[in-house]
Amino acid sequence: MNGRRRLPQRLAMFLCLSPLAISLSAFAEPHLAVQTGLKCGVCHTSPSGGGMRTIYGNIFAQQELPANSLLKPGEAPNFWTGRVFDYLAVGGDVRGGWSQTSVPGQETTSTSELEEFLGYVDLQLIPGNLNAYVDAKLRPEDAVIREGYVKLSTSNGRYYLRGGQFFLPYGLRIQDDSAFIRQIPGINYNTPDNGWEVGLEKDNWSAQLAVTRGTAGGPEIDSGKQYSTLVTYVTPKWRVGGSLNYNDSSVGDRRMQNIFGGIRTGRINWLAEIDYIIDEGTPTGRRKSWMSFVEANIAARKGHNFKLTFEYYDPDVDVSEDQQNRLSVVWEYFPIKFLQTRIGYRWNDGIPQNPAQNRESVFAEVHIPF
Amino acid sequence: MALSRLIKDKQCQIKIALSQLVLLILAACSSGSGEGLDISGRPISEGGDVPLAATLESIQANIFNPHCITCHSGAAAPQGLRLDVDNSFSNLVGIPSSEVSSLLRVASSDPNNSYLVQKLEGTASVGEQMPFGGPPLPQSTIDFVRQWITDGAVPASGPNPTTPPVIVSLTPAPDSVSSTLPSQILASFDQDIDAETVNTMSVQIERSGGDDQFGDANDVTIIPTSVGLSASNARLAVVDLTGVTSVEDLYRVTIRGDGASTVQSISVISLDGEFFDSFPTGDGVEGGDFIAAFDVRGVQPTLLSIQENVFTPVCSVCHTGPTGPNLPAGMDLSSETASFASLVTVASIEQPSIMRIAVADADSSYLIQKLEGTATVGDRMPAGGPFLDQETVDAIRAWIDSGASP
Repeated sequence: MNGRRRLPQRLAMFLCLSPLAISLSAFAEPHLAVQTGLKCGVCHTSPSGGGMRTIYGNIFAQQELPANSLLKPGEAPNFWTGRVFDYLAVGGDVRGGWSQTSVPGQETTSTSELEEFLGYVDLQLIPGNLNAYVDAKLRPEDAVIREGYVKLSTSNGRYYLRGGQFFLPYGLRIQDDSAFIRQIPGINYNTPDNGWEVGLEKDNWSAQLAVTRGTAGGPEIDSGKQYSTLVTYVTPKWRVGGSLNYNDSSVGDRRMQNIFGGIRTGRINWLAEIDYIIDEGTPTGRRKSWMSFVEANIAARKGHNFKLTFEYYDPDVDVSEDQQNRLSVVWEYFPIKFLQTRIGYRWNDGIPQNPAQNRESVFAEVHIPF
Repeated sequence: MALSRLIKDKQCQIKIALSQLVLLILAACSSGSGEGLDISGRPISEGGDVPLAATLESIQANIFNPHCITCHSGAAAPQGLRLDVDNSFSNLVGIPSSEVSSLLRVASSDPNNSYLVQKLEGTASVGEQMPFGGPPLPQSTIDFVRQWITDGAVPASGPNPTTPPVIVSLTPAPDSVSSTLPSQILASFDQDIDAETVNTMSVQIERSGGDDQFGDANDVTIIPTSVGLSASNARLAVVDLTGVTSVEDLYRVTIRGDGASTVQSISVISLDGEFFDSFPTGDGVEGGDFIAAFDVRGVQPTLLSIQENVFTPVCSVCHTGPTGPNLPAGMDLSSETASFASLVTVASIEQPSIMRIAVADADSSYLIQKLEGTATVGDRMPAGGPFLDQETVDAIRAWIDSGASP
């Protein structure tokens, strides 16, 4: 009991101190969009973010994020833009690291591994209007396509239509797929779906509507489809958005909705999201669940970002005393271009009879974006 | 003084307000005490804790429920794998993995070749180790899964159900479209089925004969290699279609709940089979045939389909650019655009008086003559065979006769 009560107190201490922290800059994820006041599609090929970076995204990552420049005085910068030819661009992300996890009553385990080697290819079939894109996980396991689609855009970039396999538009597309708001809705980097998506990018608005199989990467099981829509209003200092998702399935419909937002206050970039899910067809009938996410990204100095994250999950609103929390404290350091390091601590806090819900882990990661 | 200046600062006020807001949210979001709940966070009245053992009931209560069904349940279960109590057995035992189709999720008596074990132990060749995002299960826990599989991966025990059996899934899915006939059709039930009742009388496959209509004289009855219950899963009927020629047509699966030969549970209750476009089947009353259809549509009479199914995989191995006076490279069939430019209203090199494709006249098109082996010059195509089946050639004929549009 005391352990559980310590969590809000620890986070409270961090949050009380955070407004006084000094700041600037970080790397990747939606907090960078909040920091810059830009839409996801400015830095990423995909309009809803993630995956290959655009020319701007690559230059931003090399120039604005690292703490140290490798240039000699007076030397002109030379940026990797990913463009191999006029019509062909490539890119990738390599992540590896070490982690140690402690589960109450179990032996502490540690792992050290190459987590993922992602490769991206973008082919401009009709430059500015028609492109084919592939995002593949090449290692450590057998290669698997995460995204593979063809996108047709209007010349002004305002509207697009894409078909194929892609990550669904829903909520904040943060990197951590194990976050409650990514894992529980089941829309994350592990669950692309097949179908069609239309999108709008106009002034401050960004919107997507996807119609897909609704099987999270599996084969069709019925004629029902999944409808997922995301609308975001973006300003230079803040953004707000919402998502709706309806999965019409023979094994039980699922309705999901969320609201999310981000705001920059000085050197702190805040992110927040609240999700509400209604599942039909569970063994106990209809089930309603909540989950929320609050994150403060404190850009202490150029190349440094301190990330404090608090998450909450109520698996069934009709069952009391089953809620879970998760607290993460992460320091991200970007010493030079193409190299990001990250160390962190994560504390899960759930019901005492399930040890896995009360695990703690520390981790160190290396990330090479190119 | 310094503090008052700080508070006057507008940005600082926003920060403090945000911090206070977050603190209020945190205060309202403490974790649960777990009182009255089992290890899965469900009320004890729903079943309660079960000692860890090598049985499906125990694995369900101690592994699937607390660790897996957060994601693996409901409509968007990853890879279509649902591990809730109603579906775990029928979704696992004897079912091919969708990530590595050469492996079964659970191969009865063979834990090393069961994909479930590989995913739990982190040795699978595709995807993340499970449970996703959590700590791996202790090997001592996984060993109970291994032992359950070694023991034959038997379903949960319990009194024989008194409700009629229903079908919970069919592969291929009803109304789905595939390019070739699958090698097997799988029907999963919600309870154990009497193996004696799953046979060619109670499970029938037909195709429409090309008119997409059933009940008329041209319906074709498919003779499967075998029909029976899976040896490792008493809730899975398997129709083996190995060796059955794939023909483009509408196929119909009928599983009998009415009549003299019905599929029955081990409690000798006939299938509740009415299918209302979603699973599970049934109207709650014993009886009723399950009837569902799926389409096999291979080559369509369009250039795109012909390109994808014939020109690219078969012809362009030799017939690739650049266009020139000598075959085979003199005829570029490597893309839709190249094929159209090389074929339509282009005179044959071998028989200059004949167009390779004469628009709206398949009989006079040299391409058809070469594919059907009626050309007077050179070899029948594809060179060395195997030759295209007549239905594929007929699709090409239909495309030509309809105008050979790009």
